[in-house]
Amino acid sequence: MNLRSLLFVVLVGLVFAGLTAVVVRYALRTRRSSQATWEEILARLAHLDREKIAAIALDAIDDSGRQNFMLEPDAIWSMLGGMEGLELLEKNCQVLIELTTYVQRWHPEALVVAEQLRLNAREIEWHVGRLKGAASTGNLQSAFADYAQRAAATYYLMTRHVLELYEQVSFPELAQLKQAI
Amino acid sequence: MRDILFAPPAALSPTELTAIAAGIYDLQPLAFFGHLRLQHSMGLSGVRQFLWAASFSSTSVLLAVLLLRRRAASLSAFTFLIAFYVAKTLVLFSLAVHFSIRSRPYALTYWSLSYVDDAIQFAVFYELVKQVFCPTGVWARDARRAFQWLVAASILLALGLAMLASPPTARWYETYLLRSNFFVSVLESGLFVGIMVLSSTVGLPWKTHAARVAQGFGACALTSMVLEGTRNYFGLGPGQRAYGVVAYIETVIYIGCMGFWIVSLWQEAPAPRELPDAMLMQIYTLQRRVENDLVRIRNWRRS
Repeated sequence: MNLRSLLFVVLVGLVFAGLTAVVVRYALRTRRSSQATWEEILARLAHLDREKIAAIALDAIDDSGRQNFMLEPDAIWSMLGGMEGLELLEKNCQVLIELTTYVQRWHPEALVVAEQLRLNAREIEWHVGRLKGAASTGNLQSAFADYAQRAAATYYLMTRHVLELYEQVSFPELAQLKQAI
Repeated sequence: MRDILFAPPAALSPTELTAIAAGIYDLQPLAFFGHLRLQHSMGLSGVRQFLWAASFSSTSVLLAVLLLRRRAASLSAFTFLIAFYVAKTLVLFSLAVHFSIRSRPYALTYWSLSYVDDAIQFAVFYELVKQVFCPTGVWARDARRAFQWLVAASILLALGLAMLASPPTARWYETYLLRSNFFVSVLESGLFVGIMVLSSTVGLPWKTHAARVAQGFGACALTSMVLEGTRNYFGLGPGQRAYGVVAYIETVIYIGCMGFWIVSLWQEAPAPRELPDAMLMQIYTLQRRVENDLVRIRNWRRS
């Protein structure tokens, strides 16, 4: 066997193993996700003080579109629970997306909302990523208020829109969802 | 999905080799049903007869299921592909009866139809992608970009591996045929695995008919990649039995895939609850509002 043939066999084997592993992983994930009950998805939602999230979000931009910015960076830090709180918020984004895709099982039209939430979640990931970068260079304090407040506001909007979606499809456990998010 | 089933004998002319390697699979299902002259001339074993008959029968049954259960409307390209497989077998059989499978018309028709086959398979792929990712008629924005990356990456991967292959062959067109088959199988593997990943990521329904067709294609493409890789490794040299063994395995997988589709497409897919028009409009309005809100957030400036 010459070197080229050996390389060919190894690469084909690796590509096949890689693609098969990907298929198995995502098939299991899809199966788990499609079998998860609404309660199981909701149980993954970490506790965040929704009143404080709303206060941070509405401080930046209220329902009429006015910008206030009354909160000091220290207050935002304390209300969010620092970086740990932001990380929880980031994890909750995934649960919000799952709550939307749960509706999608019966109402494929909910896809457009789920897609928007995925984009929001990415945006929050980006904000949290910037803050982690700032923390590693010792600039967290100056960057926190801006990025954290944007992340909180985006998260707040996500929760509102998930609730509106559930209202529109007349989901029976809407009241329970309102309590949770 | 490739459909070649024959271990080419070593002492044949280029035309014979190509024609036989290419055409035998398509002939035998019909040969099994009574054309003993062909059967005798090819020296067919009982296992081969059974496999060929089973593959032709399962393809025909699948076509009947698609038409009888009215799946053709939503899976038009796929139905066309299955009808094409049935028609291809019939056409090649007629040519073989009139000219013999070792003739130039037979070989030319077989290879021309093989490329038509590939083109239809890519049309099926596009049809599935549209059904999986655009159930509302609008492309999911993030899914579309990921899909474009997927296509580009799959083409590069397939091209790289196909260029690396150096099958031991006597003639340039044998190398070309082996490599091009391998290229298509790697490309399809990448694309169908990509569909699975993307649809899982975006939480799209996985039990619809379109999804089932994609799963069948994915499984076939993955195994086909390994089998075509094996063919490219062993080539078409004298005394090589690998080509025939691979063809057996490929036919079994093909029949299995047809069986999976027959069962899946016969059953009804989970019916989505359709939203009333007014509610649908509300959801679209909601999405527009989310976008507007986000534009405002992105434009903040803390004084």
